[in-house]
Amino acid sequence: MGIAQNVIFGLITGSYIAIAAVGFTLIYGLINMINFAYGEYITIGGYVGFVLASVADLQIPLVIVLAVPLTAVIGWTLSRAFFTPIRETGPIPLLLTSIGLGLILRNGVRMVAGAKRRFFEFQQATVFQFDVLGGLQFNTSSLSVFAVAVAVFVLVHVLLTRTRTGIAMRAMGDDETLAEVAGIDTSTIRSRVWLLASGLAGLAGVLLGVQNSVGPFLGYDQLLVVLAAAVLGGAGSAYGAIVGAYILGIAMALTVGILPTWASEFGTTVAFVVLIGVLLVRPEGIAGKEVRRA
Amino acid sequence: MSLDAITSLNPTDSDSGMLWLGVVLSLVGAVIAVSPVPLVVPNQSLVFFEVGITFLLWGLLVLGLNLQYGFTGLVNFGHVAFFAVGAYATAMLTATETFKGIALGLPWPVGVAASVIVASLLGGLIGLTTLRLREDFLAVATLATAEIVHRLLSSFPSVTGGSVGLTGIPQPIFDLTGQSPNTSMLATAVVFAGVLAVFYALLVRITDAPYGRVLRAIRADDLVTKSLGKDVFQYRMQSFVLGAALAGLAGSLFSLYNGAVSPGFFTLNVTVLVWVGMLVGGPGNHRGVLGGLAFILGFRLLTRFANSAMSSVAIDFASLRLVVVGALLVAIVRYRPQGLWGNADELGVNRE
Repeated sequence: MGIAQNVIFGLITGSYIAIAAVGFTLIYGLINMINFAYGEYITIGGYVGFVLASVADLQIPLVIVLAVPLTAVIGWTLSRAFFTPIRETGPIPLLLTSIGLGLILRNGVRMVAGAKRRFFEFQQATVFQFDVLGGLQFNTSSLSVFAVAVAVFVLVHVLLTRTRTGIAMRAMGDDETLAEVAGIDTSTIRSRVWLLASGLAGLAGVLLGVQNSVGPFLGYDQLLVVLAAAVLGGAGSAYGAIVGAYILGIAMALTVGILPTWASEFGTTVAFVVLIGVLLVRPEGIAGKEVRRA
Repeated sequence: MSLDAITSLNPTDSDSGMLWLGVVLSLVGAVIAVSPVPLVVPNQSLVFFEVGITFLLWGLLVLGLNLQYGFTGLVNFGHVAFFAVGAYATAMLTATETFKGIALGLPWPVGVAASVIVASLLGGLIGLTTLRLREDFLAVATLATAEIVHRLLSSFPSVTGGSVGLTGIPQPIFDLTGQSPNTSMLATAVVFAGVLAVFYALLVRITDAPYGRVLRAIRADDLVTKSLGKDVFQYRMQSFVLGAALAGLAGSLFSLYNGAVSPGFFTLNVTVLVWVGMLVGGPGNHRGVLGGLAFILGFRLLTRFANSAMSSVAIDFASLRLVVVGALLVAIVRYRPQGLWGNADELGVNRE
């Protein structure tokens, strides 16, 4: 397969990662925590989508429209129950709590839904073949993943730059105390950050589930890649996360495309190596703020 | 965190006698191993020995982690990587024959030394890259490292034996006891208890010394410590590498006891269980973290019995167990952040 075909795969993989990474990085930048349970929010989104599609027998677009707000509310509720009470204790207790929550959710899902992978039942997408650049292939569903991702980025951009909530979020990210003094109700804004970030995780989960399958480790398997994208982009920057996710997606696809088949697992290993490399060379990432110790 | 808490050491641990106890235990273990009189423990109790040996090996992990986190405030979430690297270093150097992978057949002491060195080097490498970062980024980097190590272990069958792992590793204690599994378990447990006691004593000495006071001060406030003229990075690095080296040693001992290694022994769950053990016991208290580890391993043992007693009930026990571990982690962080035996004042976890 040619390089161009791998770049296309990379763009599609990058789309899932980017949607999730924007949510992850919003939590990091605005709530100031690394949420290791975020992968499980993706898993929850995938299962909510699966139930809506297979049990309620809904069409995929409707599934997405319903699953995203549902996951958003679930994620918000979890944050209220687990993170809000210890918000003042600093990043490490929050991080440890998120690891505990991740264990609870991941294994809870496994107990309820079983370990086996489940496939959405829907019409197999048509495969398009293009004659440019040596016969590129893609199908409608992966094309729509890319389209949905771009739409999401535009929406997030508009939200962050044009709405009062978004502007308040950015103010809070810059300086929480100052934002509070300026009359911003930071606790409401935090709630909205949780809703937005969890909704994005839900969307990534449904898309991943539709394209592949859902299982208890759906999101957990993506977590470190999402994290790597967020760090590469500059933790805290939504735009950086998008760029980081696409760079990683393409790098992973090219690695898998170039290496022999036995090395197919190295795709994700590349992401981790990039993660550590970035932390070494430029820990503030492409577009982030200072992260070094004082 | 008050200044008093840093300056007034409040020793909850003591190393008096522990060092000697360790040496004596190691010798007793060796005597049991070579003595012609077979000391037979009942077969039913072997499961306790198995868990006990896990406790003793993971005890080295938790003591190292406690030095890193409990004393220096370094959030290492890839501790299992050092354990794994130590185990594989010994395995590859000393194994005489394996199904696949490297087997050099060198004497076992070479394997032990190499494990400690390799784990220290990996610790140094990670420390070099991440100890200057904000504390939560160390967690991210170490977690990613553990994941990379785990994948590499299963991705190169010709080197590490892939997902099957390596076998044919020498088992010095088992060999000494004349191939009796029962006596070997007993001798191993006694020797490992000796090793743990020795390192317990050494760590207590380190942390009771002025050196330990500097580490605590770094944990409490690195800026103040730096302004007092201490090279904070150096201290962090030493603490991190020492913890990594201990984990490497534990890995090596695991190889030599188990006779085989595979990636399945070195999953994220090891890191999580050791962390939860430390948090339950109370970071910063050597005796406490060992108690916490005993608690968490005891819980695992109990659920194993519960599982076999209720095998007719269709519950996924492995998952349920991890749900409970997760809940325990959440609860301890929220309701008793100093753990059962930790000093809240010293850890700076008191809320205003």
